[in-house]
Amino acid sequence: MKKFKTYGLIAFLFGAIISCEKELDIEPIQEIPQEVALSSSENIVNLLTGAYESAGNIDAYGGRLQMLSDLYGFTDQATWVGTFQQPRQVFSKNILVNNSFIRDFWGNAYSTINMANLVIDHIDIVEPDLQKSVMGQALFLRALSYFDLVRFFGANYEPGAQNTQPGVPLSLKGITDYDTDLTIARSSVEEVYAQVISDLQEAYELLKSPNSYFAGKYTTKALLARVYLQQGNYQGALQAASEVITDSKYKLTPSFEGAFNNDVNSTEDIFAIQITSQDGTNDLITHYADQPFGGRGGDIVVEETYIDLFDDENDERAGFFYISDYNGGTLTSKYTNQFGNVPVIRLAEMYLIRAECNLRLGSETGDSPLNDVNTIRQRAGAAPRAAVTLDDILLERELELAFEGFLIHDLKRTQRSVGELPYNDNRLLYPIPQREMDVNSLLEQNPGYGN
Amino acid sequence: MLLIAFVVHTSFAQEKTITGTVSAEGLPLPGVNILIKGTTSGTQTDFDGNYSIQASPGQILVFTYIGMTTMEMEVGEGNSINVSMTEDAQALDEVIIVGYGTQSKRKLTDNVAKLTSDDISEIPTPGLQNSLSGKAAGVQVTQTNGKVEGGINIRIRGVASIGAGAEPLYVLDGVPLINDNESSTDAPTNPLITLSSNEIESIDILKDASASAIYGSRGANGVVLITTKKGKQGKGTFALNMSHGISRPTNKREWLNADEYIELFTEAAINTYGQEEGTARAEGMFDDLSSGTDWRNREVSTDWQDLALQNGYVTDADLSLSGGNEKTNYFFSGAYHDTKGIIRGNEMERVTARVNLTHQLSDKFRTGANISFSRTEIDRIANDNAFVTPMQAIAQSPLSPAFLDNGDPNPSTLYSNFLLQDKHAFFNTVIRRVTGRAFGEYQFLPFLKFNSDFGYDLYYQTEDSYTGRLAPFQSTNGEAFVSSLGTESYVFSNYLTFTKNIADIHDIEVVAGMEYNNSNRRFESVTGIEFPSDDFQSISSAAEITGGGGERSRNTFLSYFARATYSLHDKYLFKASIRRDGSSRFGKDKQFGTFSSLSAGWILSEENFLAGFDALSFLKLRASWGQTGNANIGNYAWWSLYEAISYNQRPGISPIQAENPFLTWEKVEQYDIGLEYGFWNNRISGEIDYYVKDSDGLILENPLPMTSGRDFITRNVGLIQNKGVEFVLNTRNIVKDDFTWNTSINLSKNKNEVKELPDDGADIITGENIIREGKPLNAFYLIEYAGVDPDNGDALFYTNTTNPDGSLSKETTTNPNEANRIVTGQPFADWIGGLTNTILYKGIDFSFTFQGEWGASIYNAGGVYQSANGDYWDNQSRDQLRRWQQPGDITDVPQARLFGSNGVTQSTRYLQEADFIRLRNLTLGYTLPESAIEKIGLSKLRVYFTGFNVLTITGYDGYDPEARSDAGSTAAGRGIDFYSAPAASTYSIGFNINF
Repeated sequence: MKKFKTYGLIAFLFGAIISCEKELDIEPIQEIPQEVALSSSENIVNLLTGAYESAGNIDAYGGRLQMLSDLYGFTDQATWVGTFQQPRQVFSKNILVNNSFIRDFWGNAYSTINMANLVIDHIDIVEPDLQKSVMGQALFLRALSYFDLVRFFGANYEPGAQNTQPGVPLSLKGITDYDTDLTIARSSVEEVYAQVISDLQEAYELLKSPNSYFAGKYTTKALLARVYLQQGNYQGALQAASEVITDSKYKLTPSFEGAFNNDVNSTEDIFAIQITSQDGTNDLITHYADQPFGGRGGDIVVEETYIDLFDDENDERAGFFYISDYNGGTLTSKYTNQFGNVPVIRLAEMYLIRAECNLRLGSETGDSPLNDVNTIRQRAGAAPRAAVTLDDILLERELELAFEGFLIHDLKRTQRSVGELPYNDNRLLYPIPQREMDVNSLLEQNPGYGN
Repeated sequence: MLLIAFVVHTSFAQEKTITGTVSAEGLPLPGVNILIKGTTSGTQTDFDGNYSIQASPGQILVFTYIGMTTMEMEVGEGNSINVSMTEDAQALDEVIIVGYGTQSKRKLTDNVAKLTSDDISEIPTPGLQNSLSGKAAGVQVTQTNGKVEGGINIRIRGVASIGAGAEPLYVLDGVPLINDNESSTDAPTNPLITLSSNEIESIDILKDASASAIYGSRGANGVVLITTKKGKQGKGTFALNMSHGISRPTNKREWLNADEYIELFTEAAINTYGQEEGTARAEGMFDDLSSGTDWRNREVSTDWQDLALQNGYVTDADLSLSGGNEKTNYFFSGAYHDTKGIIRGNEMERVTARVNLTHQLSDKFRTGANISFSRTEIDRIANDNAFVTPMQAIAQSPLSPAFLDNGDPNPSTLYSNFLLQDKHAFFNTVIRRVTGRAFGEYQFLPFLKFNSDFGYDLYYQTEDSYTGRLAPFQSTNGEAFVSSLGTESYVFSNYLTFTKNIADIHDIEVVAGMEYNNSNRRFESVTGIEFPSDDFQSISSAAEITGGGGERSRNTFLSYFARATYSLHDKYLFKASIRRDGSSRFGKDKQFGTFSSLSAGWILSEENFLAGFDALSFLKLRASWGQTGNANIGNYAWWSLYEAISYNQRPGISPIQAENPFLTWEKVEQYDIGLEYGFWNNRISGEIDYYVKDSDGLILENPLPMTSGRDFITRNVGLIQNKGVEFVLNTRNIVKDDFTWNTSINLSKNKNEVKELPDDGADIITGENIIREGKPLNAFYLIEYAGVDPDNGDALFYTNTTNPDGSLSKETTTNPNEANRIVTGQPFADWIGGLTNTILYKGIDFSFTFQGEWGASIYNAGGVYQSANGDYWDNQSRDQLRRWQQPGDITDVPQARLFGSNGVTQSTRYLQEADFIRLRNLTLGYTLPESAIEKIGLSKLRVYFTGFNVLTITGYDGYDPEARSDAGSTAAGRGIDFYSAPAASTYSIGFNINF
């Protein structure tokens, strides 16, 4: 009898434990599994917001993409004095294949693209009245990412030529299963541009304007103007830029200063990455600004050579600088609000595209090149010009758009050399990141970066 | 009938009742087994040490008790036999804690290293694990770097994992300890920093799989069983120990002074920009750096290293009270520890307390509880990859004054001045830990015992930080970050122990039971900016809250286990164990796994054929095989997950993890063959082991093409093998009453090799490390530096392109992009060893431990800044003065070229072997004779001097051959140094008093 009790007690205790077995099924608490994420309209729309957030990461449009575009073009106008090696390599045009800024730009761009692809693949489950807008925005983000990828990693687009030189891999399907062969070869520069243009045209048809701070109809048009300009398709760029100026509600800010450091988009921001004190990081602040503004003290110092480009001392832009307390260098005032938005496309660019294209084509679509240039100059308080040449317009771009990520691409498309390097030098092309070469056997490295 | 009656009568007539008391050291000893030799009848002593047994004269009573010498007494005329047992002096009969029970070392068929409180106490270092260093074969202990709270890596028989945790399982009195790094900064903290060595009785390290298989899916990295002290029967004893010591860095490096800085950088600028422009640039920069001081007359030559590193101190004080009577044993202790680290701004203070109680409720039921709590407060500094961490001050120019005339830190230095951070910011971590266990043990039958344990571990941590207006990079009128984290784990174990000795021939023990472990983690944090002034530093004063986070996660383990040991004639030993583990961490179909082990031993010295060898006192051969698992993979690693994000304060979602429903634990299979020996009455004894440990199904973050949108997937892929030999040699050189000298040597060699990788053996490359088949794990993968072209001072690299015959081309190039990487060097030592000597002469005790490691290399990732022949304005290591200056110079430092990137890229130039021998600790003590102290009521008074990291012999040029970067949680396993502080070298004096 006593033994009975003994064994009974043991059996009871063990039984209590066996009933714990259901305790082994535990679901994540603050994340959701993929099948939930990709099964409701609400979550697909959320994923689109996630794609914006990804695009706004510091590795891309949160700042590094723009900063590196300028550093790549600078020779004597500004100097990288910061301690980070990765931007210094870009500034000195001696990039190593393990440059982590470039690797992270690549990775981030494809992460944004994959999110956009997933949205596009699942557009059918989105509420019907949201479908067009969601689809259009996803196409815009994909096009934006591919455009900058191909500009940095693919050799320059040569107008009128067969652009068969390697561009970047074109991944157009959202990937959900990672247990498969994911290697993919580079498509040609021509194919990538064609995809970008087709995405933007489709997005243009789907989107309405305006669309708050998200991409709307004219955001895609404005990007299209930029893409056509890069291709040397001046007719296309002219039409697109002119349409944005005349048909959209975007207006130049009354002052030049007003176009920068805005907590909410200015009237001139066609597209800007949204930064708040609670989310997003403005990485242009990090490297361009002094420490009291949240920067590292001024990693990029503006040289006299650039300031000397201004020919009118009343030009607000000629004095849009301050001296760093930290290193005594001259810093741009375009980035002094740590939690300010990062402009990606401003209306001023559209005026300059229209002016350049009209001048090149000998037309006056929308307005004359002179008027467009003077619109920009007068807004900054600079004396209007009496006449403009192509060089004047290209100079005006440097005066207006410096430190906003235009320089290297402008130099390349106009076939100007960068210091001693001709525009098509191998050193003016990013290497495919070593890390990516290591895992994707189908990739071909750019010339000059070993194999 | 008569005959029968007679026989019965006869036997009754001869048998009588023997009674007596068994004692040890004058105290009654309960639970002693008493057996009549050659029969199965026996009994046990009660809790008063009394027994009574029926026996006949001439029969022999055998008294056995674990840890005591077995005694045999012949029954004579009397009816009373009192026995006084003595502790078994032979090391080979130590009691080894094996998990859910104990075993005698003599009969053990596993490889277990045992350390006692003597080995670990009094060592002046905050981390308990540090004191294990050099004491056990095959156990490598490395503190990440010189920060007091720094993470500690313990590797038992090599690294058995890549992507899952490589730390052993720690079990404190049966409670698996929470051992997750919970630092909110990049630099890991040691979660076991909360343990104080004064309350620890012993540490048993289960090294082979046969020993650790009883811990199943958590035993793959070995198991460290920590047993705390218990009270012993007798009058209560107070023990007081106090010590205080000073610390300094083990090493300092040489950096350029102002003279040398000006010389090198003027030259570097001229080499890049020509005489005129170069001189102007250099002088302009010197003007900036010197902040208005007269650099031309060398007004300032700041030694930044001396500002970052400081002399620290270590204070320890602990008091314990222990004792007991026949029913109740108690142990109370309290300890205080205070460290001021060797890096400016790094301090730690800890208070611990413990109560261990056991009570014998009846002769069958024993119960008890252990409870400990501790509070550890740490003043932390930034991780190694932060500009404001003190060690990065070595990059500052010696021309820059550290302080302004008014005493404030100079804000206009090349890099942000860490002294501003030190003055205007703080980061404070407090860890409270409560660990306890309540247990009951019921002896149903003499041979059947039931144990039920409920253990609980709470790790509660808060972090408070504030960065004031004047700290570097501060732009938001102050910023505060606070966090609160609680992880609790409870474990409920129940097991039965069956023990039977049959006719003194068969000795059987079977343990079987189950265990349920549930762990919950909850984390919250808040970040705020905009404070009225720096007088307000708490989060509630922030005008704007910019961030808040909360995370919860859980995991559970459900386990069934059994172990059987059998010994035949005390010579032939067998053991088998099995454990079935289920865990919530694994995919649904992979939730359960079974881990088993088998082992056998043969005590040859008991055999007759060896009886003639008098010199041989003990010889045992043992062999084992076992399986264990490694479940250290995070709670939700197999799921495909999306997390919530915010863009412009609008919610969204973002994929963060690729799915793998087949994810399961890593499987480790280990074979071990060992020989234990003792000669000349065990004056010489030791062990030799050979093992092969295969870790299969390694959990790896397998890199994916980033064009897929994700950068890796977690997979069970790959196989690595560790195999090696271990030697232990203990000698008792002098054994006299007032003079003993013991030596203990351990030496082990481990060969680590990656055997199989996924995707047809494709390399996995992370930064400067490679995982490649046939190579050691995380071997270095770098382009090869070829030195300096004597003609022009260019840095050269070997191209290492493959020649048609398969060899590597040793042609050189100046373009690093044209050089191919090669596998060279490994981050792990392959030989490690320790040598401990203990000498007792009258009242004097003297002991020291040397430790050595050979075969590891360290990659100094900071070399491209520190030793870059004047590439940027960072102060340079003094060896850069060896730079090439004119044609014909033969040197390994290229021509100095400001911004010239001359040889300044990650290459073997910054890789170096890190072999070392270290005098790890040294203790000299003197115990006053009892006669001298009895008068003042003391039973013991000892004064001692002790040193930790006393001496280092190494050819390594960096700070410390053991220091690794703490930036990024995996950096330590990859042998990377990045502005990592050297370890502390500490000298203390102290005393022990017992009364």
